[in-house]
Amino acid sequence: MSYRARGIVPHVVLIIYVIVVLYPLFFVVNASLKNNSEITTNPWGFPHEFYFENYTNALSNSLFGRYFFNSLYISITATVATLLLSTAIAFAITRMKFPTYGKWVYGFLLISLLIPPASLLIPLYIMVKDIGLYNTPLALIIPYTAFGIPLTVFVIAAFLKSIPRELEEAGVVDGLSIYGILGKIVIPLTMPTLVTVFILNFINHWNEFILANLFLSTQQLRTLPVAIVAFADQFNMNYGALTASITISIVPVIIIYAILQKKIIEGVAAGSIKG
Amino acid sequence: MNKIFRNHFAFFLFVVPALVMYATFYILPLLNSLQYSVTSWNGINEPVYNGFDNFAKALSDEQFWIALKNNIYFVLFSVFIQVPVIVIISILVSGVRRLLEFYKVTVYLPSILSTAAVAVIWQFVYQPDAGLMNQILKVLGLESLTRLWLGDPDTSMLAILVTNAWQWTGFYIVLVLAAIFAVPREILEAGTMDGAVGWRKAWLLTIPLIRPVIIVVMLLSITGAMKALDIVLIMTNGGPFGSSEVMATYMYKQAYSYSDFGYANAISIIICVFTAIISLIFHLLTRRRKGADEV
Repeated sequence: MSYRARGIVPHVVLIIYVIVVLYPLFFVVNASLKNNSEITTNPWGFPHEFYFENYTNALSNSLFGRYFFNSLYISITATVATLLLSTAIAFAITRMKFPTYGKWVYGFLLISLLIPPASLLIPLYIMVKDIGLYNTPLALIIPYTAFGIPLTVFVIAAFLKSIPRELEEAGVVDGLSIYGILGKIVIPLTMPTLVTVFILNFINHWNEFILANLFLSTQQLRTLPVAIVAFADQFNMNYGALTASITISIVPVIIIYAILQKKIIEGVAAGSIKG
Repeated sequence: MNKIFRNHFAFFLFVVPALVMYATFYILPLLNSLQYSVTSWNGINEPVYNGFDNFAKALSDEQFWIALKNNIYFVLFSVFIQVPVIVIISILVSGVRRLLEFYKVTVYLPSILSTAAVAVIWQFVYQPDAGLMNQILKVLGLESLTRLWLGDPDTSMLAILVTNAWQWTGFYIVLVLAAIFAVPREILEAGTMDGAVGWRKAWLLTIPLIRPVIIVVMLLSITGAMKALDIVLIMTNGGPFGSSEVMATYMYKQAYSYSDFGYANAISIIICVFTAIISLIFHLLTRRRKGADEV
């Protein structure tokens, strides 16, 4: 095989793989712009004319804006709470001079790696009902916050260990208290890592389905993933409205991904390896 | 100096809130689950202690064994089909100069979507009339192979596995790529000079060097396969006729369809123990005899 041909082979394989990844998405979006009979008779071509009625159908009966907002504020609240709690604990166990306690706390957090979250579902459901959180946004915010803590602490702690002591000592010389050192020296240095873990946690919460489906029953409180599945059940045979509602729910995510892809990919790789 | 960093009150203030949150909503549910797993309980009345009845029930429950078998099928598919694809694609991507970023960004795309969206997209792909899968078969003149995919007990599980692979392969590729790029350039160049090129280079050089990350990827996909729940719940709900049931969906149904919370909790404990055992066996199998690298 010539040198040139050898250089082309990987691209051929990769392009095929990229088509496998992208075509199902394209197929759905393409179908959403056709009327129902055209979806079956003309599956491959572009729509003869754009048919936007699917979108008005999908949007008219739904509280799409509401679901979007629910997902957004629940994910952000839980993520911010996790970050605050985790930064404090990671700082205390890596930078403060209580090495024995620090090790115990870290070890206690490591237990989480052995517990598959699915096995917590039922006891958590009972707990949420018992303490009266069922069918309130807190029924998601609190467990999401707790679930995010271990991995977030691992990632932040790994970074904090790499900060040179001298920087903190300079803070001490300037007369800062322990809170001042955390707030004015450590947190600014940790910002890039915090952005990474923010993205990681946010994506998890934004996409979470099981708890959101089980712990909330009012339609008003639904998050997007639950709403997508509800659409799919409702529009089972109405392919146009079904594909339109899928498109509506994935396009915002794809746009955000297009903007932040570098940071997201970096963050996910870092998070998983350190965790 | 030391006085500032040995502030007991501050340490307490920093550690306790996070720890309480974690203990209450992560560790306590597990203990509760253990407690409920030895009771007969419908979720409303008082739980009644019944020893190991629930675990004995699982052992003799044919439906549970099918679910367990499907989890194992899930694990085997991930390790023997998905992981090789991940490694091959990663090595190919790492070798190209042009379009590198493009490949990385597109292969990762499905992992950013929620499992709910992915499940619904693929329900449409498998849709018997309008779906992509049957349409492709029709174009290829293989009309006889068209089928209900998710509605056929022979293909429902496989259809879910393909969907799951579609969603997560890119995520793992990004992990493996990061490891490949972290290999010092000199090592690869030295290998190339010694005549290791193309697949020889990949097999003799790259793969051994990135062995730790391959192990991590395998471990992540094993634990992922053991806890699979939402994708199955949305796509088939374990059907048809229980053919795609996995342990987690079976647990879910015992609790929310049959109100047998004692049995459901016993299954959740079994999932937990099984995951731990498989991870442990895997860890022992892949341990290096000497000079073990940290994984």
